[in-house]
Amino acid sequence: MTALPGKFSALEPLASWALKTETERNRNRLASTQSEIIAFTRAVLPLASDITAYLDALSPEEQAQEENERLMCLLLALAEVAPSVEAYQNPAVVDGYDSFRFRAQEDFKLRPKL
Amino acid sequence: MNAPVRKRLHERYPELGTAPIPIQPYIDPAYYELEKKYVFKKTWIQVGRVEEIAEVGEYFVRDLAACNASVIVVHDKSGKICAFHNVCSHRLNKVTTETCGKAKKFFCKFHGWAYDTNGALTGVPDEDRFDNLDKSKLGLTPVHVDTWNGFIFVNVDPNPSMTLAEFLNPMFGGLDGYPFHQFTSCFSWQTVVNCNWKIAIDAFQELYHVAFVHGLSIANALQKDEKGNLNPLDGLCGEYHRRLTIAGNPKSVYGNPNAIAGETPAMEVDTSGRGISARAIAAAALKLGQGGTKIDLSANKMPGGMNWTQDPNWAFDINVIYPDFYLSMRPTYYQAYNFRPISHDKTLFDARVYYPEAATAGGRFYQEYMKVALRDVLLEDLSTLEDTQAAAETGAKSEMVIQDSEIMIRHQYTVVDRMIREGLTADGRGATP
Repeated sequence: MTALPGKFSALEPLASWALKTETERNRNRLASTQSEIIAFTRAVLPLASDITAYLDALSPEEQAQEENERLMCLLLALAEVAPSVEAYQNPAVVDGYDSFRFRAQEDFKLRPKL
Repeated sequence: MNAPVRKRLHERYPELGTAPIPIQPYIDPAYYELEKKYVFKKTWIQVGRVEEIAEVGEYFVRDLAACNASVIVVHDKSGKICAFHNVCSHRLNKVTTETCGKAKKFFCKFHGWAYDTNGALTGVPDEDRFDNLDKSKLGLTPVHVDTWNGFIFVNVDPNPSMTLAEFLNPMFGGLDGYPFHQFTSCFSWQTVVNCNWKIAIDAFQELYHVAFVHGLSIANALQKDEKGNLNPLDGLCGEYHRRLTIAGNPKSVYGNPNAIAGETPAMEVDTSGRGISARAIAAAALKLGQGGTKIDLSANKMPGGMNWTQDPNWAFDINVIYPDFYLSMRPTYYQAYNFRPISHDKTLFDARVYYPEAATAGGRFYQEYMKVALRDVLLEDLSTLEDTQAAAETGAKSEMVIQDSEIMIRHQYTVVDRMIREGLTADGRGATP
């Protein structure tokens, strides 16, 4: 089982947040409690600049390795929960349209692979 | 510069009138049939971008219910963009059931008829059993197609009344030069909303709702007027199209168009004691995203047709290209939405946002932050539509009243109604829908 890169082993308990698609990350956000989201944010946000510095120092081949992709996905999960923390104080959009009905086109040709 | 006193929009467009707007066009299936005939089957419809079919043989298929059409748009072997009805010349099966792909030929799965990417019929199994089959006359039925700044438009009218340039340039000629081609990293979402297509667009072409629908998200990212209300800087109502221009709060990520292009705003930091400052993730995304794209955005000059009031706090324009295409550009990304009617009370909302390709992890993180925030704002926008449609259909009201800066709702209704009246008159059926 590939884990997170060793430098970030402190985040290992949060590795289940490292999901590859927007759809999966959004569903995980909606399945979480607000206190879980805040705990996740408190753990990852202070490391955000270390994460980007680490990833940007890697070659494209290294970036594509599973443990490094997982680290990138953890950072993308931080972006996914940002509205819960910054706007809604709630996992879902308050009084919003059903997110499950607003389907991300994960296979759209111009969509970034990760 | 920003004129201190501006006339009310309705005073500038007296031909639009000021009367309440009838509800019938939003709920009546018969009115929708007239819209199909005199609006959607008679004009240019935006269907995609050239980057989606950059290579020879690449194609996509758009089902345009309001045109009763399924249209194949393909990059043919001579390098041209062609469009055809997705209808076999033999016994009318669809020649492709894919939504996009890359092909040397299209093969009808019913009896194996084969068509070239330029629509020509090239193969007929057991051809000798047809009498005098002239393959040169049995190609796929072409659909008029043209591009504007990389956007592909089709027109199912066999004899379009105007070219795409004639249709767009009077209102949007000043947007030429915007670097659409640089923004190739696209995120998209789709949903079928149970509401009329005009009700759907209406929720996106006024600011009056922002303080209420977006009170928790972006309301503070837009610039309030002297009375604390949200209104556009200006609006333009054309023969078909309409535009709004909007000022932002330069201390916000969403409201400052230069936020990622080198000018980092002084972020408003929340001190409400929740532990994480209210915009801490935004601040991190902005900081880590600086310089994170493959192209240098700071070198881009925006065309003069954007921010036409030259407001220093300008944030973005909203362009509604008749009938169903919404396009909003900023210096660092743009949004493109289609509101495709499926029936009088069903609309396919197809929303896309285009960024430059990210070069760094921080650049990608920033885009994800912006994209997720936008998606959630769209969930707010979508939240009222089905209730509005259901309320309209109760018959409790026969009209709706609108305020001055909701003029685009009036303009949309008026243009559609005018096209129907003109169409009925031309067909000798009298001018009353």
